[in-house]
Amino acid sequence: MFYSEDKKQYSVLNRRTFLLYLLKVSFFGIVGWRLYDIQIKDSQKYKTLSKNNQIDIEIIYPIRGKIYDTNNKVLASNIKVFDVYIIPENTKNINKSLNELNQIIKINFSDRRKIIELSKKVKKFQKIKVFENINWSQLEKIESNKINIEGIFISQDYMRTYQFDNTVSHLIGYTNKPNREEVELPFISNMPNLEIGKDGIEKSFNLNLIGKSGQREIEVNSYGRVIREISRQDSQKGNDIQITIDLRIQQYALNLLKEHKAGSIVLMDINNGNILCMASTPSYNPNKIIKKPNKEYWNSILENELSPLTYRSIQGLYAPGSTFKMVVAIAGIIHGIIDTNTKHFCSGKIGLGDRLYHCWKNNGHGSMNVSDAIKESCDVFFYEISKKIGIDKISKVAEDFGLGKIYDIPLPNQKKGIIPSRDWKKKKYDESWYPGETLISAIGQGFVLTNPLQLAVMTSIIASNGKNVKPNIIKQNNDIEFEKLEKYQNAIQIIKSSMFKVVNESKGTAYNSRSTSAPFAGKTGTSQVRRITVAERESEDFRKREIEWKKRDHALFVGYMPVEIPRYAVSVVIEHGGSGASTAAPIAKEIFQFTKNLEI
Amino acid sequence: MLNKIRNLNYLLIFLVILISFIGAAGLYSAAGGSYNPWASRHLTRLVFFIFLAIILALINIKFIYQFAYALFILSLLLLLSVELIGVFGKGAARWINVFGFSIQPSELIKITIILALARFYHDLKFDEIKRIKNLFFPILILFLPFALVVIQPDLGTALSIVMLGILILFASGIRIWKFVLGFFVLLLSIPLSLNYLQPYQKDRIFSFLNPEADALGRGYQLIQSKIALGSGGLTGKGFLEGSQSYLQYLPEKQTDFIFTLIGEEFGFIGTIFIILLFLLLISVCFYISIKSNHIFGRILSLGVGSNLFIYVIMNISMVSGLMPVVGIPLPLVSYGGSAMLAIFISLGLVLNAELNGNLKKLNNA
Repeated sequence: MFYSEDKKQYSVLNRRTFLLYLLKVSFFGIVGWRLYDIQIKDSQKYKTLSKNNQIDIEIIYPIRGKIYDTNNKVLASNIKVFDVYIIPENTKNINKSLNELNQIIKINFSDRRKIIELSKKVKKFQKIKVFENINWSQLEKIESNKINIEGIFISQDYMRTYQFDNTVSHLIGYTNKPNREEVELPFISNMPNLEIGKDGIEKSFNLNLIGKSGQREIEVNSYGRVIREISRQDSQKGNDIQITIDLRIQQYALNLLKEHKAGSIVLMDINNGNILCMASTPSYNPNKIIKKPNKEYWNSILENELSPLTYRSIQGLYAPGSTFKMVVAIAGIIHGIIDTNTKHFCSGKIGLGDRLYHCWKNNGHGSMNVSDAIKESCDVFFYEISKKIGIDKISKVAEDFGLGKIYDIPLPNQKKGIIPSRDWKKKKYDESWYPGETLISAIGQGFVLTNPLQLAVMTSIIASNGKNVKPNIIKQNNDIEFEKLEKYQNAIQIIKSSMFKVVNESKGTAYNSRSTSAPFAGKTGTSQVRRITVAERESEDFRKREIEWKKRDHALFVGYMPVEIPRYAVSVVIEHGGSGASTAAPIAKEIFQFTKNLEI
Repeated sequence: MLNKIRNLNYLLIFLVILISFIGAAGLYSAAGGSYNPWASRHLTRLVFFIFLAIILALINIKFIYQFAYALFILSLLLLLSVELIGVFGKGAARWINVFGFSIQPSELIKITIILALARFYHDLKFDEIKRIKNLFFPILILFLPFALVVIQPDLGTALSIVMLGILILFASGIRIWKFVLGFFVLLLSIPLSLNYLQPYQKDRIFSFLNPEADALGRGYQLIQSKIALGSGGLTGKGFLEGSQSYLQYLPEKQTDFIFTLIGEEFGFIGTIFIILLFLLLISVCFYISIKSNHIFGRILSLGVGSNLFIYVIMNISMVSGLMPVVGIPLPLVSYGGSAMLAIFISLGLVLNAELNGNLKKLNNA
């Protein structure tokens, strides 16, 4: 190697190495400048992006469980609808967004206030429902204006729907937004938009029907667009519930009630206490409550003086009238006051103290034993025996037969009614019991108040030879065995044969309603809603006269079918229906016949 | 021997350890404030590889010179075997098992390319360089590994091999017009090579051109990476406070995107500090190169420095959106054994070159 060459080579190498080094330094400079751009110059922009680029937790609402009738017919389910939501976080001014939305669909003032109130309460990124179940033209309008309205969000949801409108409405109830107290309930804590059951089964079984919420973590960029789903935990559908109601009977019963302004029909299977039908009129259409706006419909319900929201079968209290006589007779028999041969003479009235107590038959029934007294519904016979039995013993038997009780069934707001006793009166009015009140109570008037379900249970206990039948509304798979009230055996046999005569022997009060296809037994009842004046009583035709509906008597009938081995017990109450024999008994006959036909 | 140890370039060693520690801190943060799974292994590797580098520094440079071609051929065979028996990685077969270690021959080949070129130019008389026929061998040295890497396909490594070759050839004294010619040839071949690109590689390039168009897909990494860097600002969000990376926005935050995590947590000050450390490290390599009395040591040192430079510039350009995401780690900082091993081997060779800088003759002849 020559040194000169060597030297030349090294000087080239040095120069090139230096150039290379300069190149590298300048590249580092470019990279440094780029980092300056991102980290210093545009830092604010990226900081905002970073902040907005965040995880949202979106609650996935569960699908509410369905409700079925005893034959698996769907009574309540869910349909897909479109709802409009607002997400407070995504709008600078929630008021402005709502104003803009208001121009497409009107938002009423109270809803608006609720939305704003809620927006302060929930987490900023949680959506709040503004409208639900919007129609197609509204959907179209909002969809096309969505860009201009900040924070608006359309989503597909499920809406509760009831397949048979008002047929089972009282029993099932309806769902609606939770009110202020309900929002605090633990099972809806993270689901402010959840519709919860407000009445009936829907309310009692909220916990089962709601299911479990799921959630998904989503990543949203600065424009509010979902970039990706990070995790997802699906919601769990609520449990389905099957009730004991047989829709066919329920529909049939409602049809029968149509002819009357208000009433109730309860049909029970005495073997297991299953309520097969518990219809009450007037009723309401839950679909019209759920579908917003519902204000007009809601007001029409509230203004209706017949109070369609009242579930008469469990909330309506009526004097049981003569249907209470079985209880009195049983009390008389078990306490040895009467037997089948004991007779009392009915002259149409008896006196006690300075008052007269009338039989419904002004000329009297003549000599009556217990069987005749029930068959012909003689009041005087029961006046006579009640004097000897005393109110406390009667009320004890009444309670054993299921009266004056609230049942352990998942229906809210059952009315207990009144089975009076000395203690009860002392407590309630701080007054002692008057002997005359015993007489009035013995024919199911005065203080005595029962609801139609209680009457059906009472009838079930009689029909089943004293089994302590408990009503049941949720279908159970296992058989139920009720304990037997042994001490009433003998008495019940006497009463049952008397109830047979009521329907199936001439002179029986319900003889006109006897059925050959579905023979049944029962007892009529006609309960006064006001005191009949002496003048009225003396005018022979006061019962036949057309009197104002509100002043008419309630018509009642309780009965069971078949006669030999009873399976069904019924209670029919027609408000201001006139008389049990003329109005309630024919309805019972129809129900029994219809039910019997279903069995085949 | 002791003398040699005493004369080791401790500035270089210090820089390497410092950068590796910064890497470990980043990995600790990337794991959500945990040594596992990355930081602990990163530090373990650091310890082993430091010893390996020092051992490499102490062996006789004549051996290295002698075996330069042999090592190149060996690594070329390894690379070839990846095509045949490679384990499948992410859309590409790049790893091979050597004594139970999963290594990437494409990382090692860069070092042996440097060695081969260093030997070639050491052996070549200065006058000979001008001759066209003497371009054939260096281009073959570059083209064979390039071709193998391209068919893997590993676009990032292929690109870095080309760049490495250009830098070394430039330094060794090739005439400038030849580079200009080569540049035009390359330019003309771009449309042709686009046909050979895998769909995912095309995606990467197109998403680089317009990241916002496909925020969900490929552009996603880049947007998130820029958000992480930018939101760090001047001083950063603080150690372990980088929300972007914790919220899992950053993909592969422990490997290719570790720099953005550091940028988010330590800000502009942090990123510039790292860049300066690398610049200093590369400067040391160049200083050693200039100081060296033989061409082999010179080319070797500036080759290693250039290799480092390519890694750093490509990685940072990639995460800051200056170039497409091609999958190049940040040396000593990113998690990954092969690249780290390659860097330490190459730095060991630079240390060796410095210790043996005074030798005039490397061949025994």
